[in-house]
Amino acid sequence: MTSSPTVPDTEKGTAVSPRRTAPAHPAPQALVRVRGVTKSFGGAAALKGVDLDLYPGEIHALMGMNGAGKSTFVHVLSGVHQPDSGTLTLGGHEHTGLTVRRARRLGISSVPQRRELAPGLTVAENVLLGDLPTRYGTVHWKAVREQAGRALSGLGIDIDPDRIAGTLTVAEQTMVEVAREVRRGGRVLILDEPTACLSARDADRVRDLVRTLRDEGVAVVYISHYIDEVMSLADRITVLRDGALVRSAPAAELDAAALVRGMVGRDVVSRRPARPAPRSESGLAVRSLSQGRALRDFSVDVRKGEIVAVLGPAGDGQSRLFDLLSGRQRPDSGEIRVDGRPVPPGRIDASLAGGLRCVTGDRRTLGLVQGLTVDENLMLAGDRFARRRLHRVRHLARRAAPVRDTYGVVALTGNPPVGTLSGGNQQKVLLGKWLETAPVACFLEDPTNGVDVAAMADIHTLVDDLAARGVAVLLASSSPEEVMRLADRVVVVSAGRTVAEHDIDAITRDQLVTTALGGQPQ
Amino acid sequence: MSLKTPSAAPDVAAGPPGDAGRPRSTYRRLPHIPHGGLLLVLVLVAVFTAVQADAFTSSQNLLNVLRQVSVTAVIAAGLTLLMTAGGMDFSMGSNAAVTLCVAAQLLARGWSTPAVVVVSLVLATLIGLVNGLVVTYTRVAPFVATLASAMLLDGVALLVLDGMSVTIGDKMSALGNDEVAGVPYLTIVALLVLALTGVTMRFTTFGRDAFAMGGNEHVARLSGIDVNGRKLALYALAGVLAGLAGLMLLSRLGAAAPNTAGLQTQLTAVAAVVIGGTSLAGGHGTVTGTVIGVVLLGVVGNALNLLQVNSNYQLVVTGGVLLVAAIVNEFQRKSSPGH
Repeated sequence: MTSSPTVPDTEKGTAVSPRRTAPAHPAPQALVRVRGVTKSFGGAAALKGVDLDLYPGEIHALMGMNGAGKSTFVHVLSGVHQPDSGTLTLGGHEHTGLTVRRARRLGISSVPQRRELAPGLTVAENVLLGDLPTRYGTVHWKAVREQAGRALSGLGIDIDPDRIAGTLTVAEQTMVEVAREVRRGGRVLILDEPTACLSARDADRVRDLVRTLRDEGVAVVYISHYIDEVMSLADRITVLRDGALVRSAPAAELDAAALVRGMVGRDVVSRRPARPAPRSESGLAVRSLSQGRALRDFSVDVRKGEIVAVLGPAGDGQSRLFDLLSGRQRPDSGEIRVDGRPVPPGRIDASLAGGLRCVTGDRRTLGLVQGLTVDENLMLAGDRFARRRLHRVRHLARRAAPVRDTYGVVALTGNPPVGTLSGGNQQKVLLGKWLETAPVACFLEDPTNGVDVAAMADIHTLVDDLAARGVAVLLASSSPEEVMRLADRVVVVSAGRTVAEHDIDAITRDQLVTTALGGQPQ
Repeated sequence: MSLKTPSAAPDVAAGPPGDAGRPRSTYRRLPHIPHGGLLLVLVLVAVFTAVQADAFTSSQNLLNVLRQVSVTAVIAAGLTLLMTAGGMDFSMGSNAAVTLCVAAQLLARGWSTPAVVVVSLVLATLIGLVNGLVVTYTRVAPFVATLASAMLLDGVALLVLDGMSVTIGDKMSALGNDEVAGVPYLTIVALLVLALTGVTMRFTTFGRDAFAMGGNEHVARLSGIDVNGRKLALYALAGVLAGLAGLMLLSRLGAAAPNTAGLQTQLTAVAAVVIGGTSLAGGHGTVTGTVIGVVLLGVVGNALNLLQVNSNYQLVVTGGVLLVAAIVNEFQRKSSPGH
């Protein structure tokens, strides 16, 4: 191993550090060895000569911006795409023409970003899917429960095998999928953003599971945008940029700043700019809004030009706020006023007519029409407000071009269906769609959900500009950093209740985190 | 985060945007012509028939085919728009049957033709509107609701006729049988309807709303589209076109007999639309595809007659051609998303 000249250990092209030997890795024999993999689609190169080694019992984080080639690499590894050139060696044998089926038989399996369980079946059936134990030609249900229970408890997962998969939380779905892949003999497990959209506690459970996998000797490929998480979890980090390998090193040798620089190619600083002071008149006033147990007696007053953040664990109340403010659902009680005028509850048209724009955190189901083009999605709401009758592609493109520019939407081929764009670009389309429609007040739900650091900085700037234009911005977020960066005031919620309210100047990040985690009413 | 989202467009975050649209190597050639595979099937069937039976290319026969497909085409046009918006209407053929029977009865009782046309179109629109109301406000799946109304309307048509055939003499025969510049009036009507539908889908906000609703109804609603109003309008439109088809059929046949039109006609139209590449789930659809689908089905039916295929085999062969066309179409669609 020490003599291998191919381990890319430092900045590309420079000398190889011979330091990486046995102590850090109990099993120095690489399980999977990838050399010089290239892959292009049409004219565009998605991967340019990427080398990678995966060791058993190691968590190998793969980092990079949206579009850096992470997913393509994972697809090559799991047999979805065949590389144009390069080799993939597994257990001493070189494999060409890897298909999904063969990769799986060799023990390479992946848990995709979108969980794929059969929602109507039980957890046990899902774990044993395709391999149900039978007796006398019929399913042996007792064995199904036993085997699934063993597979789950072996990984320390505490989920009742009799539950229906459709009732699981996202974190639990991830765990069940992991258990299924491990039970099938997965030696290399690829996890694509397993903690995206999870609350802190659920994310911890998933991370614990990943550590258990490592201790069991599985080679874990871990894709994540969260730098802190990667730093604390990974043993080794590989950074990709524009399809090329930038750096691959043990996590201990890297720090957050170096990672960001590696991913973006420059330093990214997202710092609070000086914004004009909020005006005195109220832009959005919410009075004792309640619905069921998700939201109880929620009040907030956002002045024009002010950004007020609602901080809480992901999934706590924020998406319900979206439903109520956008008019998709009717609150049990409470009142919403925009610009001093009451907005009738439970009516989308009334909410829009009042000047309230709600940007969802779930862009796939509630944000964009995936099959329609970028331009059409950008103008979907604006054109309806303008009561346009005719639709002409060229005029549409002319109207959409400035929005694309302002919001930095990048599409390589003209005007593709929005579903083919990267997450960061889709999020920018979603923001552009709503924020360019003369809003009086905006509700933004997790606007940087699943986007890379550079796009995140761009989006922060867009939100700053929005407030500077005199729009009242209510921001739902689960990230204290984002709140500190953007908000003027913060409302901390827990289990649907407001537990604290602070001016951002009067609180430090650590105090904020403590309040958010502690959730003690004051 | 939903379980197993059945989405045709995976987020190929890492791949360049060309990734999703890339054809598999085997079918690399087909996607360059829109509906190329389908056209190929149509040409093959036509050439084969022309070689085997001289009568196929005679102008008399071609006119006949055109008249026959015109009625289906009008129904299919409305259905294309409706299905693109994520709706479905199985009752259009039966709506046409009711319209046809009512119009025949009224004409036989001496009503003036224009009055009958107006009354039957209004009736058909109302029937469509009722479908729309049920689908929009009860959340019963369109498939179920309109299948029920199809059966119901088939029965109503039989009641209106009361087991008899009603002839209307030559009151509407000009529409059904005459031609202008060698093109039957019926075909001109059908072409007008198809062209209007095509223009609506491509160049009007109403049409784009249909794509948005079919693609993702929640997003459409949140974007300020009056989804309920649009649905009612679309079902009413399907109704009025079904009524038009009924009148066209009546003018061609000159009489209303039990079991004319009905669910069977509708199934043919649905097949034509689906062959033409319109998505059953909504969000995709083209009138061009529908036209090819309608013509393909008409030509196959005609070819089987001309080739004197035993009538017992005709359904078998039609079904087979449908299957082949649908498979060819699916290969092509997999490799070229979006419209």
